[in-house]
Amino acid sequence: MPPKKILLIGFILLGFTTAPALGAPSLPPATQWLPPNALISLEITQPKALLNLFTDKNLTEKIQAMPIYQKQASKKGFQEFLGLINLIETTLNTDWRTGLAKLTGGGIILAVFPQDKVVVIIDAEDSQMLKQLHDFFLNIARTEAEKKGRPDTVQTQEYQGIPYWSFDSQEAHTIIDNRLIFSNHFDGLKEVLDLRTHISDSNLANSTAYRDAKQTVGSNPTAMVYANLGILKSIPGVAKALNQGKNNPLAALFLAGITESIRSSNWLALKLQVQEKTMHFQAMMDGAKIDPAGPAAFSLPDKPDEGAWPNLQVPRYMAGLSFYRDLHRFYAAKDDLFPERTSGLIFFENMMGIFFSGRDLTDEVLAETKPEIRLVVAEQNYNPEIGIPQVKLPAFAVVLRLRDPEDFDEVMEEAWQKALGLINFTRGQQALQGLIIDRPIHNQTKFTIAYFSSAGLTEKTSLHQRYNFRPALAMPDNYVILSSTEELTRDLIDTLQTEIKHPAKALAHTHSLVEINGLQVSSILKANYETLVRNNMVKEGHTQEEAESAIDILITVVQFIDQLKLSVGMQENITRADLELKLNLP
Amino acid sequence: MREINQSSEIASTRDSQEKMVEPDWAWARYQPDTQRPWNLALAGHLYRRAAFGANWAELQLALNLGPQQTIDKFFQPQADAIAFNHTYDKYDAAAAGGDSAESLRAWWLRRILQTPSPLLEKMTLFWHSHFAVDNTAVKSGNLMLHYMKILRRNALGSFRDMLTDLVRNAAMLMSLGAGANRKALPNENFARPLFDTFTLGPGHATQKDVQEAARAFTGLFVFKDRLSDIPREHDNSIKHILGQTGNFTHDDVVRIVLEQNATAHHIIGKLYRWLISETAEPTREIIEPLARTFARDYNINHIVETMLRSNLFFSPAAYRRRIKCPLDFAMNLIRGLEGMVPTIQLGQDLAALGQNLYHLPTVNGWTGGTHWIDTAAVTGRFNLAAALVGKEKPYAKKLDPWEVAAQHGHNTTKSAAQFMVNLFLQDDLDASVRDTLWEKLDSADAADPGETIRRFVHRIATLPEFQSA
Repeated sequence: MPPKKILLIGFILLGFTTAPALGAPSLPPATQWLPPNALISLEITQPKALLNLFTDKNLTEKIQAMPIYQKQASKKGFQEFLGLINLIETTLNTDWRTGLAKLTGGGIILAVFPQDKVVVIIDAEDSQMLKQLHDFFLNIARTEAEKKGRPDTVQTQEYQGIPYWSFDSQEAHTIIDNRLIFSNHFDGLKEVLDLRTHISDSNLANSTAYRDAKQTVGSNPTAMVYANLGILKSIPGVAKALNQGKNNPLAALFLAGITESIRSSNWLALKLQVQEKTMHFQAMMDGAKIDPAGPAAFSLPDKPDEGAWPNLQVPRYMAGLSFYRDLHRFYAAKDDLFPERTSGLIFFENMMGIFFSGRDLTDEVLAETKPEIRLVVAEQNYNPEIGIPQVKLPAFAVVLRLRDPEDFDEVMEEAWQKALGLINFTRGQQALQGLIIDRPIHNQTKFTIAYFSSAGLTEKTSLHQRYNFRPALAMPDNYVILSSTEELTRDLIDTLQTEIKHPAKALAHTHSLVEINGLQVSSILKANYETLVRNNMVKEGHTQEEAESAIDILITVVQFIDQLKLSVGMQENITRADLELKLNLP
Repeated sequence: MREINQSSEIASTRDSQEKMVEPDWAWARYQPDTQRPWNLALAGHLYRRAAFGANWAELQLALNLGPQQTIDKFFQPQADAIAFNHTYDKYDAAAAGGDSAESLRAWWLRRILQTPSPLLEKMTLFWHSHFAVDNTAVKSGNLMLHYMKILRRNALGSFRDMLTDLVRNAAMLMSLGAGANRKALPNENFARPLFDTFTLGPGHATQKDVQEAARAFTGLFVFKDRLSDIPREHDNSIKHILGQTGNFTHDDVVRIVLEQNATAHHIIGKLYRWLISETAEPTREIIEPLARTFARDYNINHIVETMLRSNLFFSPAAYRRRIKCPLDFAMNLIRGLEGMVPTIQLGQDLAALGQNLYHLPTVNGWTGGTHWIDTAAVTGRFNLAAALVGKEKPYAKKLDPWEVAAQHGHNTTKSAAQFMVNLFLQDDLDASVRDTLWEKLDSADAADPGETIRRFVHRIATLPEFQSA
């Protein structure tokens, strides 16, 4: 195994198991040794909370019993890795769990600086063990070089009287008491050592933005991420992403309030708390308040008890997205929100004019909708008699509510049927198969579906992707369902009938809610396993075996996510985001 | 290294230059002799034309086998070819489900990189450019796959069969805007290129011939991604095509064009430019014997074999007398370095260089030759070479010249660099070019030999000699 790889594994092991409890007893907090211009820093202040979660014996045993683990374990590279772990355990005279806890128990901090410079500082509980491990890696690197007849690859030098080592011409690391300091460039290490001897007093810990972020996060988080938005926003890629909304109406619609907050913020802090099998992240920024009269105010509820509605639950539910967005106000502010008149936007407006018979899109169409937008994504069931597409796409639907359904239902129906007619006409011009329109009834709701007939096809097990779609429009009560499949439409009609009887309560202070069901996502990944493997082969240049491993790992990781819930909202007009990650652990 | 440094001998063989205009000598089998010995330069030449470049083991095997036995291997089905093609046919079928041909393009590139039958793919590429189809107009992976299967099935088989199948191919008709051929409105969009591009060549058919042939094609329609032949829409009246008169159908048009001498001459001329040389037009005397043979049965395999085994093929008239298309340029590097790259990305990069598989720019296919080389294209090639051997995404670490050199026993920078020159250029370089290459190597950073060799390979790829096939 190459020395660089060994070093990498070493740091990964340390990284995953440690948290930067800021400061071992004899040393100042690690943030005092870091320059103030960090773009991003990750501090793990309670590493053992994470260790307990991810290195739990039951979990390890479950992972080891999984077929994917058995498959990987039979590979040479993995066996070398296990051999290395065994060797480390023998050398340190401990098991890997205890070793990790002792090596990282003081805390970890990882900071990224401009010019791709990275510094990692790890405080061990057992300084003797840290030195032993370091000596172990040095010996391995030297032995490997000797075996290959190459000169010693480990370089040892001194800076300010402190010895430091490098496994190649770039990386540099040192150990001071119980603290391991690593940087991917010598300059990074040099800056840390300079701050240690107070050559400069300006450090991350006493920078204003960091101090404010730390104070907002409060005491005792399991971990904290700090991002210096002042510097990050000057990076061209980030600046471009923040300006996305200006030529992308969908970005302006769904990221409302978020991009505005980031644009006006100096820092972003992410606080992590671990509670049993749930990880709770909370994002905070110091951005200016959103102007209730400004263009982005269409995402601000008028009343305190208004907000996004709870997501709709349907069978095979994969994800739900719910937004509070006043579409009428949104489109009325289009000149401020997305001033660029792209060809796509002009086409969209022309088509809306055709579908809605010349009605004004802002005042006569969007004004008819209430400010709740809900999207549902679900895995599909396929009827073998109709046929099964080769690529199995999830079904999706958008659900709105109308202010005046009695007057607007027929307008919607007419627009929908015009759209279907246009699709059929265009496909007909190209001598392609068209959609057949039907109007079935489900749960007392008559709705419109359109589908491609598979009659006459002899092979029905790997159909074209278009057989994933049976677009439908249904309008139970004052709801509008626009769905990609008939099945999801029927499920939503059932769900909404329940909601009509037992009205949902809006989520106060929340304008966006995203929920994902990991198990159902893994189910659709499994259903498309062969397609994913093939795509991986041509996208990554992998062999079939490598591609299968990559997809197996992806599915396994997704299976460990039980529920992911992200809610974003405004409280006192300041954006807050909460992410709850419920893990599917034994 | 005597077997390597031989191209100067080729170039200086005055005797053979005089013989090159004699058809009997030109198409006779090449037998190495002291004046024209079999060497690494010629082995590299053979692999550039009959395949997509070679790796070191293939070059060494070719040196040992000699030219004719090496060529035998290109024509004899390899033991694993059937299983390989079966597997890749399944990949193709799975990739053809949508409207885009991007996945099909990626799988073809991967097939080219791994195939045990590289000549078959090389000739499929030739026919792809000859019977040019653009999926922008077709918008169907399945139709493009069906079209490609016809090309591959007949690439080294029967031109007659290939033409007969393509005349009734939905992708071909859709691509040319000939998806509807009504009796009341005959469509000339297919008849014209059939005469001027696919068979006779320009100037052999009159406008009247085109109009009459269009009437023979009436009744053919593409509906729901399928070709339909509707008898009531066929014009059953008498047509006059290329001097023949009758109630002709599309099959008759195929028969009539194959009866014309011009067809065989046109196809042999194009094959000559593909396999022998594109720098000078072949004389009629050189073409004639092969055209006569071809016109008898339209057996492509026989003509390709004759050309590849010939004195002319191994003469200075053919050596480095073609410019690599972008595909050849990239494949030479990738095959030489024994790697596999993300072919979705490669397909996009080749498209940016003007060679977008499944999307031919015009009905005349890729013009080729010096049209591949302009300032932007050259810069693009050099950037692609840098990306392929570089350490950054999207090709990061997929090709590692230093590792490949080490696998072949070259563990020092100088030895590895010489290995790369032998692998990619068979050391056939002017002294001044070689000196410049080595000067830059001497000034390179000795601490990172892997990076030094990466840069060295990139420099090789930027040489004019590497642009020649």
